[in-house]
This record gives sequence, structure tokens and C-alpha cells, in this order.
Amino acid sequence: MDGKWHVVERGRRWFASRKLKEKVRILFLGVITLYVLLFFFLYSFLIQKNMLEYALESNRSTMAAIGKNLEVELETTSAMSQLIMRNRDVVEYLKKDASKDPRLAYNATVAVFDISNTFRNVSSIYLFKNNGETLHISRGVTRVDMAVVRDPSWNWEIRQKDGGYVLRVDGDGAFSSPSGEPLVSFLRMVNDIETQQPLGMMAINLSRGLLDGTYSEMEGEGRQFAYMDPSRGWLWDEPVDLGGLSPGDEDFEQTHGGNWWRPWIASCHRVPDTPFVLAGRETVSINRFLSAEAAVSMAAVVLLTFASLGGLGLFLSIHITRPIERLSASMDQVKDGWLRRVSIELPDDEIGHLKDRYNNMLVEINRLIEALLEKEQAMRQAELEILQEQIKPHFLYNTLETIGYLALQGKREEAYEAIETLGAFYRKFLNQGNPEISLREEVAIVRDYLKLQKLRYEEVFEDAYELQEDLLEYKVPKLILQPLVENSLYHGLRPKGEPGIIRISVYAREGMLHICVYDNGVGMDQATREALLGGENSKSFGFKGTLDRIRHFCAREDVVEVDSREGEYSRVDIRMPLERGGTGYVQGHDHR
Amino acid sequence: MYKVMIIDDEKSLRNLLKMTVPWESLGLEVAGEAASGIEAINRIDEIQPDIAFVDIQMPFMDGIQFSKLAIRRYPDLKIIILTAHSDFAYARECIGIGVCEYLLKPVSRAEVREVLERILRKLEAREPRQEVPVLLQGNENVSRIVEYIQASYQDPDLNLTAIAQKFGFNPSYLSRLFKGETGKSLIDYLTEWRMEKAILLARQGSLMYMTAKAVGIPDPNYFGKCFKKYTDQTYTEYVKKLKKP
Repeated sequence: MDGKWHVVERGRRWFASRKLKEKVRILFLGVITLYVLLFFFLYSFLIQKNMLEYALESNRSTMAAIGKNLEVELETTSAMSQLIMRNRDVVEYLKKDASKDPRLAYNATVAVFDISNTFRNVSSIYLFKNNGETLHISRGVTRVDMAVVRDPSWNWEIRQKDGGYVLRVDGDGAFSSPSGEPLVSFLRMVNDIETQQPLGMMAINLSRGLLDGTYSEMEGEGRQFAYMDPSRGWLWDEPVDLGGLSPGDEDFEQTHGGNWWRPWIASCHRVPDTPFVLAGRETVSINRFLSAEAAVSMAAVVLLTFASLGGLGLFLSIHITRPIERLSASMDQVKDGWLRRVSIELPDDEIGHLKDRYNNMLVEINRLIEALLEKEQAMRQAELEILQEQIKPHFLYNTLETIGYLALQGKREEAYEAIETLGAFYRKFLNQGNPEISLREEVAIVRDYLKLQKLRYEEVFEDAYELQEDLLEYKVPKLILQPLVENSLYHGLRPKGEPGIIRISVYAREGMLHICVYDNGVGMDQATREALLGGENSKSFGFKGTLDRIRHFCAREDVVEVDSREGEYSRVDIRMPLERGGTGYVQGHDHR
Repeated sequence: MYKVMIIDDEKSLRNLLKMTVPWESLGLEVAGEAASGIEAINRIDEIQPDIAFVDIQMPFMDGIQFSKLAIRRYPDLKIIILTAHSDFAYARECIGIGVCEYLLKPVSRAEVREVLERILRKLEAREPRQEVPVLLQGNENVSRIVEYIQASYQDPDLNLTAIAQKFGFNPSYLSRLFKGETGKSLIDYLTEWRMEKAILLARQGSLMYMTAKAVGIPDPNYFGKCFKKYTDQTYTEYVKKLKKP
């Protein structure tokens, strides 16, 4: 059961994996096969069965009719014998001694000849008188063996018949034809009409035409007939294959065989009152049972069915499979990485709509990809700008000048430390191929940055750090902290003109990582704050870019809160979710 | 001996310039410096430089703004713009306003020397300007000027030369006239007026950078210096003291 189910399932999968075109083909093949099978089933089990029954019945009546024909022929022969017997000249010849009057024999011969002339199939007629005189007429050559004829055992049966006749093939050895063809001998006694005493015996030898004539009209169309004498075998006819029947046992026997498309019927009919058995064989052919019109209309139905199936197939092909194939081929170009629109001509039906929708979808996808690319480019651009901002000569040159001055002042220790810090800063700042770095590294960059800035603006600020150690391994977009700190220094503290503080805090609250940059500089009014967040002036462009990068990184809009009081402080609070899909927060057990 | 003024917010650069350039052998002296354009405007009249190094990037008033102003007020002043490569496009603007020289940061001593020598040749080729003696005129003008100062002290561009040009005087003449009439230099008077206003604001608890802006010295660092000089204590200390009692 399991195995069977498995095969079915495999077949189903195989079919499902075929192309549409193949499926349609397979379907059509299946329908046609089913159709043909059904047709032959109906033919062989319904039509053929009825046909055979009918053929058997028809065969039986044909055989009977042929038998009747033979009986009629024999009655005719019997009538002829009566005419001869009652003929005056013949009677006279039989009653008188002909040896004394030769005219008697002559007259009788003429009379018999005249009578025989009106009948067919007569080969010869013999009259044997009791006294041994013989008279005969003959159309062909017939030999007679008088010894047999005189043999009482030969003529005993004929005498017994007393007015009836006996049929014997070749007169049971008494007659023979030089050609070897058997003769049918019609034998009877000739009696005196008045006395009913036998005057002699009459033999009428009949040629094969007698038997042939009985079925000559029936032959043909696969039918074959032949006569046989069960004691002697086939007469002059071609032997007939009886398919195992043994003739002579029953009055009528019938059998049939062959295959379903070409059945045959064989039968034997013992013709009553004769020694003959009629054998027949016929091959049943459908056209005997199916009229030409019926065959033509059947063929027409079949053809019409095939034509409609073909037409349907063609329709399916033209309107469904081919357009889908073309659409599919056209869509396949997407595989090459090109989101090209399908430009083939398709009918304005569901398939055409499919194409249109597909095209619309492509347009949308292309638009989204473009938007994504643009966004990605903007991110890179923002990152690059911050890099440029710092690599730009001012910071470096100013720092170099500061260091130069330290050196000239003889502050060797400080000068060396400044160079060291500058080196460390640029190493961390530049040497980051990865767009994400750990918060620890971010803070280190800012520490170096502020240390260098302090050399320049010593009196301006102090820096302070409040860092939650276990959050420092969290990955963040690189260089997000430095622009915030720079913003605090240049736009918060410096304009104030008084010493201030920059405080950087990192902490977690309510599932969010907070990175907070606080300064007690000039602060911001509402308009400045909005301008800063909107990136509306060139000074805050880097700030906006940094926020955009953070938004992109976290895939959320709400990443920043700017809190400020004018003249007192400003605090930029960056928050990112601690839980990020896949990458992100790495538990910071590595306390360096 | 020509006078040089260095205007740059980087203290290091100012110091480096002072230390690395052989001023005396070139026949120059560094007469003063300023950490911002605002400070420069306030100090330029007393320094009266012939040459000014101006950093293009400064807070409160950048080098371009300052140079435009300075060229208008001091047509003979030779300005050397200090700039970094990335600002060069910005610096080209200065060509239109008559700045004569550029120095690319970081500056090397040789380049500074070259530029200075070029400028010196121009200065020496120049005809010395004749000081036209002007009669001292009554105090009517001075009282108008005092009124003017009291009305427009909040303008950060205001200085001696600006006032002199406004009233059609020669700046040094005005300076002498003003001192003769009031006993105080005009520059000192302007600063004192501003500081008095600042003290008023300090009493109201105004933050320093706001006060600085309000009294026409929007550079709080320079304002802080002026305030300390005037009151002997820092602005923050001053405000704190007021709050205590």
C-alpha cells in the first residue's frame, strides 16, 4: 500500500514539475488514449458480441438454405425420373423384347435424351432392364462396371426403396468419370404402372454442377462452402477448415473462433435424405454489419472529436501556453540581474494583465532599489564627510602648530605626548574598514580627540566620562560620537567664553543603549535645535548625517533626543535598541 | 620699522609666528595680536599695523568678513590670508576685495619670509602719506560723537576709524581731538561705555556670552578680557558676588 502510494506520489510530483506545454501535451495524450481505449472496449464488448451472435444465426440459416437448395435439386431430378418412367417409348422399350425390334431401343433413347435435355447437370442416364438389356445416354464419358451393377448386394437397397431413390457418389463404384471427378448417382427402380412389377433400374448420374449450384450464390465475402461424404471425405470441393468439428455426428454443428477483430464461424449441416454433409466457413467482417453511412458517420464523429481536441490544444497553445512561455522567458532575464521590463506583445487578457502587473512590480522594485541605493550612498557620503571633516587640514595643521609651539617652548614631554596622541587618534580614526566598531573604540577616539583639542583650548573645557563598562562592546556605526563632541565644543562651549565641561555617558535604560553627550555651553533655543536636527545649515550637516547613519543602522526613526536650556546646557541623547537581530550587542566580559 | 598684527584664534600659531620669523632683521615688529575678528576690530586702531596676518577661519567674525571691513577702513593695510587647502575656494573670494597675499597652512618659515619680503618691497615703493594738519574744532563735534557712540555701541564693527570715516575725520586727528576734549581716548571711552552697560546686564544676571553680544563685543573671550581689565575681576566672579549677599 505504501509502495503504491509512493509511486502515485512520485508520478504526481513528476507531473507537477513538467512545463506547462508538456502538461498540456500529456493531458491530450491521456485523453486521446482514453478515448481510443474506450472506443475499442465498446466495440469489442458490445458491438462485436452482438455482431457474432447475429453472424452465428445468419450462418445457421445460410446452411439450412443451401440444404434446401439441394433438396429442391433432388426433387427436380426425381421429377425428371418420373417423366422418363412414364414416357410411352421408354415403357414400351422396357416391356418388350428390344432385341427383336431395334426401333424400340432407338425410340426410348431419343425420348430419354429429349427429357434429359430440359434439365441441367445431367451427366448420363442408364436404364438397366431385368433381362440384362441396357440403354444409356451420356453428355460426357461415363464408364459403367456392369458386374457391380448386377451384384445383388449393390442393388438390394435400391430394390427395397420400391419407388424411392437412392443417392450414391459414383454409384458406389458402379460409375466413374474418366476425369476423376465424382458423380452423384441418382438410383431408383422402374416399375410397371399397371402391375407395379419392376421392369428395370434407372441411374441418373449428375455432375458437380448440382452441388455447386446450391451454394454458388452464397459464396464470396469471406464465405466458403464444400460438400463431403463422411464415408469418403471431401468431394471435389476445396477442403474447408472446420476448426475441430467432426462432421456427421449431428444434423447441425457450429463453432467459432479467431480473434476479436476477425472472428470466424465454421459449421456442418447434414443434408437430410442424402449422404452429404455441407461444410461452411465464414470470416465475419465488420462491414457486413456496419453500413457505409454508419461507418462514415462514426469516423466523422471520431475525426471531429480529434479535430476539436486538436483545436482546443491549438487554442490553449496560442492563447495560454505560448504567451505564458514567452512571458516566462522574458521574465527569466531577471535572473541575469537585470530588472528589465517585459516588452513583448501579449493579448489584453489575464496574461496581458499579468505582464502589466509584473512590469508595475518591476518599476516599484527598481524604484525601491534605487531609493535604497540612494540611501546607502547618502550614508556613505555622510560617513565620508565626517572623515573629511577631521582629515581636513585644520584640525591636523592646528594640532601640528600646537605641537610645534610646545617643542619650541622646550616642553619636550608634552610635545611627545601630543604627537603620540595625534598618532593614536589618526590610527583609530582612519584604520577602520568596517562601518561598525565597538563603543569602546568610539570612546577612545573621542578621548584622543578631546585631549588634542585641550592643548588648543586649555582654558575652555574639561572632559568627563560616565561609562557603563558592560556596554562598551556594543557595536555602533563608526564615528558617531566624535561629531557630537565636536558640535558641543564648537557650538556649545566656545561661544560661551567661559570654562565648561563635556560629559560623555553610556548607560542602558529600558532596553535601550543611551549614548549621551552633555555640555554646559550656550545651549540652544528651539529654532537652533530644529535647525540642528534638520541639518539645515552647513555647520550641523555633519550632525544630521550622523543621526541618519544611526537611524539607518537601527532601522528606526526615533534615535535622538536633544535637550537644552539656552545659556546653560545642551544634551544630545542617542538611543539604540540593545536587542538587534543577529549582530550587535556582544556581552562585554572582556574588561580591558 | 613696519608694524605687524597677527589675527588668529590659534594661540599656538600666533606664538609660532612670533617666535620663528626673524622680524627685526626684516625691519618688522609684531605690534599686536588678536584671537578673533572682533578683538582685531577693537584693537587695530591702537596698534595701527601696516601688515596683518588674518586666519580665514575664526569664530564670531571670520577672516573674510574682517578683511572686507579692514580694507574699507584701512586702504593701506597689507593683508596676508592664512588658509588651508580645503578653504581655498573660499579664499579666492578675497581676490575680489583686494587681499594681496595668501599663505597656505601649515605655514613654513621660508614662505612667510618670501611673502613678507614681497610686501615690504610694495610698502617701500609707496609714497609716504602726508599728514594734513587740521585745525582743532570745538567740542560740538565731540558731543555728537559721544552721542553716536552711546547710540551705536552695540554694533560690533564700531571702532575709531569707523567713527572717523562716519564724521569725515582723519582717525588720528579724531583721536587727538577726542582726547583733547574729554581727556580720554575714544577707544577707551567706547570700551568703558560698553563695560558700564555690561555691568548693568551682569547685575540682571545675564550670561556672559549674551552680555558680550549685547554690548557689541560678540567674542566672549575678548569681552571677558576687557571686563576683567575694567573691573579687576572676571565676569563670572562678578555675577557670583552680586548673587551672594
